[in-house]
Amino acid sequence: MRRQKPGVSCLLKTGICRTLPLVLLPLLVAGCGQEREQPKAEQTVFAMNTYVTMTAYGEQAQTALEEAAQSLQRWESLWSVTEEGSEIYRTNHSGGQSVPVSPETQELVSFALSMAQETKGALEPTLYPLLRAWGFTNGSRQVPQESEIRELLQAVDYRRITVEEGELTVPDGMQIDLGSVAKGYAADKIAGLLREYGVSSAILSLGGNVQAVGSRPDGTDWRIAVQAPWEQGTLGILEISDAAVVTSGGYENYFSDEEGYLYWHILDPATGYPADSGLQSVTIVGKEGRVCDALSTACFVMGQEALAYWRADGSFDMLLVTEDGEIIVTEGIAERFTPGEDRTEHVEVVRR
Amino acid sequence: MKTKRLTAFCAGILLAGLAGSALVMQKPEDSTVRIVQDGVVLFQTDLQEAEDQTLSFVYEGRSNTVEIRDHQIRVAEADCPDRLCVETGWLRTALPIVCLPNHLVIEFADEAQEADIAVR
Repeated sequence: MRRQKPGVSCLLKTGICRTLPLVLLPLLVAGCGQEREQPKAEQTVFAMNTYVTMTAYGEQAQTALEEAAQSLQRWESLWSVTEEGSEIYRTNHSGGQSVPVSPETQELVSFALSMAQETKGALEPTLYPLLRAWGFTNGSRQVPQESEIRELLQAVDYRRITVEEGELTVPDGMQIDLGSVAKGYAADKIAGLLREYGVSSAILSLGGNVQAVGSRPDGTDWRIAVQAPWEQGTLGILEISDAAVVTSGGYENYFSDEEGYLYWHILDPATGYPADSGLQSVTIVGKEGRVCDALSTACFVMGQEALAYWRADGSFDMLLVTEDGEIIVTEGIAERFTPGEDRTEHVEVVRR
Repeated sequence: MKTKRLTAFCAGILLAGLAGSALVMQKPEDSTVRIVQDGVVLFQTDLQEAEDQTLSFVYEGRSNTVEIRDHQIRVAEADCPDRLCVETGWLRTALPIVCLPNHLVIEFADEAQEADIAVR
């Protein structure tokens, strides 16, 4: 027979042992609401033609966010399509001459061109002259003449852009715009910077492009509200950690003509008109912000063909809202998406 | 007798502890909004208590007219070029109303929302 130690035996005979858990329990329960506190840092910036919010937890989080804010301003000065001194502006106005560019610009342009190739031109980084004709770049928003669209389409072709050995060349009459990849690229860079500073929990939004570093400070997933297209509300909640989430939809920037026809800012590079592929919005979830950024636009242009691309690629997940109001979710995030209680859309899960 | 008193004492602590836990874990409704321009909070109010009103904010000669009506908030008018802030409509989610040209942001101030952040 195993003998109990005298001290323990003594305690058992008193009421203390019976009542001790009663004392400890509330303390433990109260403790549940308290996280192991890491300093929280927040920073907001107007940069890269968007509103950026950054929240990070860690001893050096504030320093990291200040550096991130400076980087955002620097990237804007490199990639702005309207700022005269930017590398992109200078290239677009060089009359077809090669222009020396920074390693970051070379990396981003190379990435944009590779995504254009992978998506067979659904992502087209040379659409800027058409976007300007539609007035989406300055808010004037109008329907261009068909002849103007036809003419401008002649100057749309990513295959004619070259970037090598620190030089970017855009043929005369063409323009490159990194708007469909730059925010995602910046988010990746900031996430990397935060990790270098020992931050293991952060959430960033670059104009609605979300990038999560790790999970919430308490270890649970970040809760991302997915906007319902064409209305003011939430479609549902995506729960993710260590991932990027980017949405594209016509409702973000659009106008209607006198007859009530709607025109939105995501153009089909094949026609020069707003992409009308049967989708209201595309949300991409993946590891890299730049890929999610590029694919949200490209898959919106592809329409239902985006599912075939997803099956062949395999490196990301997505949530589509079709024109008929159906929600299509790929299997990797099916369990992570919870539709809002008031939503009536049918949710279909697609598998490989 | 001694044991009974000790039990009563501990039960008291238990109740106090549970009340404390409830207080710690409680999350208030998200009804406080703030209007921020270039990082400076210009206005903050609890929408549940706010009366209907119209506010005007000027930035580099351009203005945004913010309306609070029926405990909701939106940008009702703006003379910025794209007017995307007006088209955003009423503030409903964690997604803030943003006027990029005028550096104006309207957002919920507390952290008790259903989501940490919104994607659009």
